[in-house]
Amino acid sequence: MSLPPDYSNEIQSLTRQVIQHQPNDILQFCANFFNRRLESQRAEFLLSQRHSNYKGSTALPETSFPGSNPFGTSPGTGFMNRLEEEDETDTLASPAASSAAAAAMANPQGNHPSKSHFGNFLGFGASKSTHQHQFADADSQTFPTNYNLNRRTSVSAESLNPASSAHDNWSPPYHHKSEEQLARLKTAVSGNFLFSHLDDDQFSQVLGALQEKPIPTKGIKVIQQGDVGDYFYVVEKGSFDVYVNPSGKLEPGPDGLGKKVSTVGPGGSFGELALMYNAPRAATVISNEPSTLWALDRVTFRRILMDSAFQRRRMYEGFLEEVPLLSGLTPYERSKIADALETKKFPPGTTIIREGDVGESFYMLESGEAEVYKRGIDKPVKRYKKGDYFGELALLNDAPRAASVISTTEVKVATLGKDGFQRLLGPVEGIMRRNDPSKRPEGDSIDPLAKEA
Amino acid sequence: MAAAVHKLLHPHSHAHAQPEPKQSEAHPEPAHAEAQQASNEKREDEKQKVAQWVDQKQPLSPNEIHQDPDKKVVGHSSRVLRQEDFELIKTLGTGTFARVWLVRFNNAQGSDRDKVFALKVLRKVDVIRLKQVEHVRNERNVLSAVAGHPFITTMVASFQDHDSLYMLLEYCPGGEVFSYLRRARRFNEPTSQFYGAEIVLILEYLHEKEGVAYRDLKPENILIDAEGHLKLVDFGFAKKVENRETYTLCGTPEYLAPEVIRNTGHGTAVDWWAFGILIYEFLVGQPPFWDQNPMKIYEQIVEGRVRFPSAMSPEARDLISGLCTVDTSKRLGNIKGGASAVKSHPWFRNIDWDALYNRKVRGPIVPHLRGPADARNFDDYEPESGNREPYSKELREKWDEYFKDF
Repeated sequence: MSLPPDYSNEIQSLTRQVIQHQPNDILQFCANFFNRRLESQRAEFLLSQRHSNYKGSTALPETSFPGSNPFGTSPGTGFMNRLEEEDETDTLASPAASSAAAAAMANPQGNHPSKSHFGNFLGFGASKSTHQHQFADADSQTFPTNYNLNRRTSVSAESLNPASSAHDNWSPPYHHKSEEQLARLKTAVSGNFLFSHLDDDQFSQVLGALQEKPIPTKGIKVIQQGDVGDYFYVVEKGSFDVYVNPSGKLEPGPDGLGKKVSTVGPGGSFGELALMYNAPRAATVISNEPSTLWALDRVTFRRILMDSAFQRRRMYEGFLEEVPLLSGLTPYERSKIADALETKKFPPGTTIIREGDVGESFYMLESGEAEVYKRGIDKPVKRYKKGDYFGELALLNDAPRAASVISTTEVKVATLGKDGFQRLLGPVEGIMRRNDPSKRPEGDSIDPLAKEA
Repeated sequence: MAAAVHKLLHPHSHAHAQPEPKQSEAHPEPAHAEAQQASNEKREDEKQKVAQWVDQKQPLSPNEIHQDPDKKVVGHSSRVLRQEDFELIKTLGTGTFARVWLVRFNNAQGSDRDKVFALKVLRKVDVIRLKQVEHVRNERNVLSAVAGHPFITTMVASFQDHDSLYMLLEYCPGGEVFSYLRRARRFNEPTSQFYGAEIVLILEYLHEKEGVAYRDLKPENILIDAEGHLKLVDFGFAKKVENRETYTLCGTPEYLAPEVIRNTGHGTAVDWWAFGILIYEFLVGQPPFWDQNPMKIYEQIVEGRVRFPSAMSPEARDLISGLCTVDTSKRLGNIKGGASAVKSHPWFRNIDWDALYNRKVRGPIVPHLRGPADARNFDDYEPESGNREPYSKELREKWDEYFKDF
């Protein structure tokens, strides 16, 4: 049973709002939140209806696919038929398909006259002899006409190297913001999927790194279509028009901007692809009045994400090394487990595991403190702090928990279930057995890189 | 190494730490005629060995491939070969900083005229300008390590001269799987299974023998050889990751794995994700996540909900769902068993894996060729522009150290 990601995103951003505003009337606050979300989604939708190709607040082209079912049944066809059809109605053919390639395509037929190797399996349509033009129609249903059939270009961002950043002692830039500004920024980016997966620390680092960029007058081109993209922008105040030239870049002359596709106001944002890699800008954005933007560059954004992921993984690997039950893990296996560990947060006073329950998961304490209680003893029998672990026997068997663990502060734990562990590495018994050479089966290496270990 | 690479990508921040340039170590200019002659003999000897290999093209077993590249017949760094040894016949492809030529040995006579190669030429100055030094080094080293695998384009040798880097590769006359797929629109199940199975063998070897993540799987990077088998090309993003995750975003938008987009660290599991996308594209004719706006593609990928055409077989759906699983701890190929869990999936039940590795199974598309040097399956490209930025003395002193293994 997993929740839909849309739901989790909404709830997470609601949670952030609640934490921030600490409302007295929770119910009214939540209702207002969802009404606002609904309103902005509807506005976006209506905008995208009006300019069927473009979306309001993001200023980037949007497609009509996959609005309708892209897999509408099409009458299939034998390969030769299709080849003729493509040569005649060339609207969908790839430019890669030169006549030389066409000649080559006839060859497999020649070698195997009896059967076709291509798309004629049941359900994509049984073979049927029809007039050529109908094939073209059917195909344009199956493939949206704007589907890109060209060779796709590889992309890559700047090389990021965590080992050297630890050495450099890099810390993200911090630009002070007022509480109100922070609140507005949070709302502005909460709908963006690049931000919705961040944990609290990453999120506040990213918000801190946003830099104020005053736009003094009307008519300033903040980004130009076709230019390299390095920054993502959030509008603090003012407004901006978004233009797209069908040629793919800003041209000289009065019509060089192309068509106006939308306007972005406070709380809107644009240029988020620049947070992934350097791609040519898809639109030109011009100020309508004196305005203020917040700007974030790609290297800073990705480095914040990388550094925290890197540090967390190394911390988990370090914790795992301390668990005697798992001392047989190779570095390769430890890194796989570290990758699979899930972070959970509990408020003070939470019973994380309960004595007598069936144990299913193993926990490592990442931050905060917890106490261990046993039935019949009213004082805690043990205290846990950062780096301590508990419940590891659950990986081994279904025996009931031998004690309860209750958080005394807010705690963050890294946890993994028995099923997760077994899915990755098999039963933990097998790993323990490795420590005992007499029981080691010949050549049974789970670790493909065992030679490194 | 990590620090060295960082230095190389951010030269200004470490300007004081530049290594002393070695005086053109790779290409000594012998003062004496005697040494010259010895070098020429070595060169002829090398050319003969290379010609012999291309004649037989015997794939190596996994253990043979895995040995020290200097002991293998293929994949070594040649100190004697030069561009002048080759006749450039036709351009097979171009990139932003590389051009691939169909070549044969100069003055080849008779049947030797059929012994052709693909020569990938990279201009050092462009490699540096486009910040691809690390990727080019990775490419050469990975290709050297894997040379001899039946389904990876074999790098016969690599060499360099004062301003360029060269990779002498085996020639695959069938062209890209991409071209066949686009013209056919989609492949049927047996064809997809055959190609899929050969890719599984490649990933199994790269991940489990070499600890290498390929990171750019797509039909454009898979060629068909004269016998109809696949050859994986373009190792520009391949990286030896072993038991450490890596963070640099690279790949092709439709094929990026969720963990690459989210920058949480990635490893060989990204190739299994991309493999699921590839099978889907084979069967359907387009990848599962697509939009004109790349950010919308990424949003769909991170969400990870694959929609299948109603006609797709349950086995194919199950395989693709297993591979395209956002949670890497549940992703087929990355979970217990690794590649062998993929190989034992019911969708591959008709595959004889040993026979396949040994190329005993006939490929579904065997290109019809007028001879080994036929280049009809490759498009025509614009000739190379004449004016090239020179590789200056300053650049050489700063960078040649990083190319010394080439």
